[in-house]
Amino acid sequence: MRATLAFFLFALVVSVGKADSGPSLPTIVDRHVLTGYSQLEATTRKLAQSATANCAPSSEALRSAFHESFDAWLGVSHLRFGPSEVDNRAFALAFWPDPRNKTRKALARLVAARDPIIQEPSAYKTLSVAARGFFALEILLFDSVLRSSGDAEYFCALTRAIASDVADTAREIAKDWRDDFKTEFNSFGGHYRTEREARQEFFKALSTGLQFVSEARLGRPLGTFERPRPRRAEMRLSKRSLRNVNESLDALRDLASQLASNAPETAERLGLGFDAAREAASKLIVDPVFSSVADVQGRLRVEVLQQRVDNIRRIVGGELAPALGVGQGFNALDGD
Amino acid sequence: MRSMATEMPDRRTFLSGAIAAALPANSGWADVGSPQYLSAARTQNGLLHLVGLDDDIQKVFSVALPSRGHAAACHPDLPEAVVFARRPGRYAIVLDCLTGTVLAQLPANTERHFYGHGVFSQDGSRLYTTENAYELGEGRIGVWAADDGYRRVGEMWSGGIGPHDIKLLSASGILVVANGGIDTHPESGRTKLNLPTMQSNLTYLSVHGEILEQVETEPELRLNSIRHLDVRSDDLVAFACQWQADPFFDLMLQGTHRRGETLSWLALGRADRTPTYAGSIAFSRNGMRIGVTYPRSGGLADWRLGDPCPGGWHDLKDACGIAMRRSGFLVSSGTGTVALLLENQWLRELHASTLSWDNHLITIR
Repeated sequence: MRATLAFFLFALVVSVGKADSGPSLPTIVDRHVLTGYSQLEATTRKLAQSATANCAPSSEALRSAFHESFDAWLGVSHLRFGPSEVDNRAFALAFWPDPRNKTRKALARLVAARDPIIQEPSAYKTLSVAARGFFALEILLFDSVLRSSGDAEYFCALTRAIASDVADTAREIAKDWRDDFKTEFNSFGGHYRTEREARQEFFKALSTGLQFVSEARLGRPLGTFERPRPRRAEMRLSKRSLRNVNESLDALRDLASQLASNAPETAERLGLGFDAAREAASKLIVDPVFSSVADVQGRLRVEVLQQRVDNIRRIVGGELAPALGVGQGFNALDGD
Repeated sequence: MRSMATEMPDRRTFLSGAIAAALPANSGWADVGSPQYLSAARTQNGLLHLVGLDDDIQKVFSVALPSRGHAAACHPDLPEAVVFARRPGRYAIVLDCLTGTVLAQLPANTERHFYGHGVFSQDGSRLYTTENAYELGEGRIGVWAADDGYRRVGEMWSGGIGPHDIKLLSASGILVVANGGIDTHPESGRTKLNLPTMQSNLTYLSVHGEILEQVETEPELRLNSIRHLDVRSDDLVAFACQWQADPFFDLMLQGTHRRGETLSWLALGRADRTPTYAGSIAFSRNGMRIGVTYPRSGGLADWRLGDPCPGGWHDLKDACGIAMRRSGFLVSSGTGTVALLLENQWLRELHASTLSWDNHLITIR
């Protein structure tokens, strides 16, 4: 009996002593997730304050708070699990792509009716996510067409309502991560049954984040060779299309390097991949909203950037996935 | 498109297309070795095939495909199969399973693409295909004259966004469509464009496009995308979903529906498994059981109708295709396994190969 117990204890010690070869998830939560959401919380608070101080779309303080907040959002927008997915919060912050122009239509309806719903934050939250968030705010701050259709007083109230709502949503996500969800990555058996499942969540965030950059941020304006779609570029009004690509690549790079911390060769290749993408992006400084996707030269620049991003995706799928033990089968990957 | 070629299977030598032209026009499925099942598959060196399997899971024919297939529809009488490219599919091809020749190529209309499923009318004269009118963001059912060279003869509204699977109610000739609810556009690949507003439904359509009945997933299951269907001989419909958000305990991905009633969900009832993605669903031959595969969770489950929880969970890596057999279910996987699941038994491997079985195992009825 004693021998059995001794053996059992020995086995236990050995299995505990054998460190998991994966990256430390609490570290990723700490350095990537919580830092990112704190940044979003702080910048959006400033955004709401700026709107209260001066709601004019020409306000430099307000515009720059908008830019800083959206940069912060791009630091975490790929983390589509847990607190961001409660009550449609992530979509309430950023409703894009919007192929049917729902945001513009929703705003036009509010303005035409001078709908008082925007005066009451809790009621405003019940509106369609298309009428909320950064993309609605972008139209208010940077688009002259809508502005010509209503009165300044209502636009001011609407700008403030959106900015406060964005700040509230960001605070709620950050708080839920800090107070609650972060512990899911310390021990398993709750939201994630195993550490592998939790690791897979971060892996999925990285791979779908890259897919979104390639297929949506770059793919939508590229359209097809026969039919390029420059007007579909993300945030053309505020001229942020390229900046959004760069900011999200930086965030994804940070996550990738932390996930690859125990696979130095993969980490190095990923680093080179991200370098190449940033280099391709630097060629686009002349065309920050991808407006030249219709001409050969301009199109090529965007296509090269897309290829660089797809190359990172190949390294992520082909090397990082097996290194993390999160490989998926033929059908499991299909998504149909 | 690359020209089609036939791979010579071990049990049967195929005739060339030229000789096939001289064959009697009334050849049927028996002439291709009476396959019972069809599945697309990828070979070890990356070639893509449509494979016919007989009841003993022996390969009776194998025809090369130009690209990865999703599902196939079988003509009720003729040995013809329509194979759909995986979405956003630009074409579907009609194969003569006797010769491997392409009888027709169905090009997606302008501003349409295929979703990967289709079904023939009972008499085989019409083929119905699920399609995306992607500039409008609406689902369509394409109508093709199978008895007239697969000419496109019309289209109808699918009753929603993202129609995926489509089946025929056997008794009435009514179509049932799984509108998955997710808006995509080929220019942005598979990026989901409308998750904040998505709503899936089952739609019953007459062959003239009248909407006879629609049933939506409940508000709390709004993000459950109904994708795949099977229909029992008394028109009970089984459906399987793909959940578009975080998993939670007791999330239900499958159920049944009878016209005039609400959706009846089937729970997996396990704390240790919370799949969010069902691959395929099938009724057993006697119609008393339902089998569902979960490729991302590496397994399958089967229910006896009326029981609140499944008979069991069976591990099978990358399990996706499922079809009825004389008794029990036949299951195929991306790792080359074809296995048999009998009631109250363990999963039994019948066939192993280096083929990656792709998505769906189609029963030739």
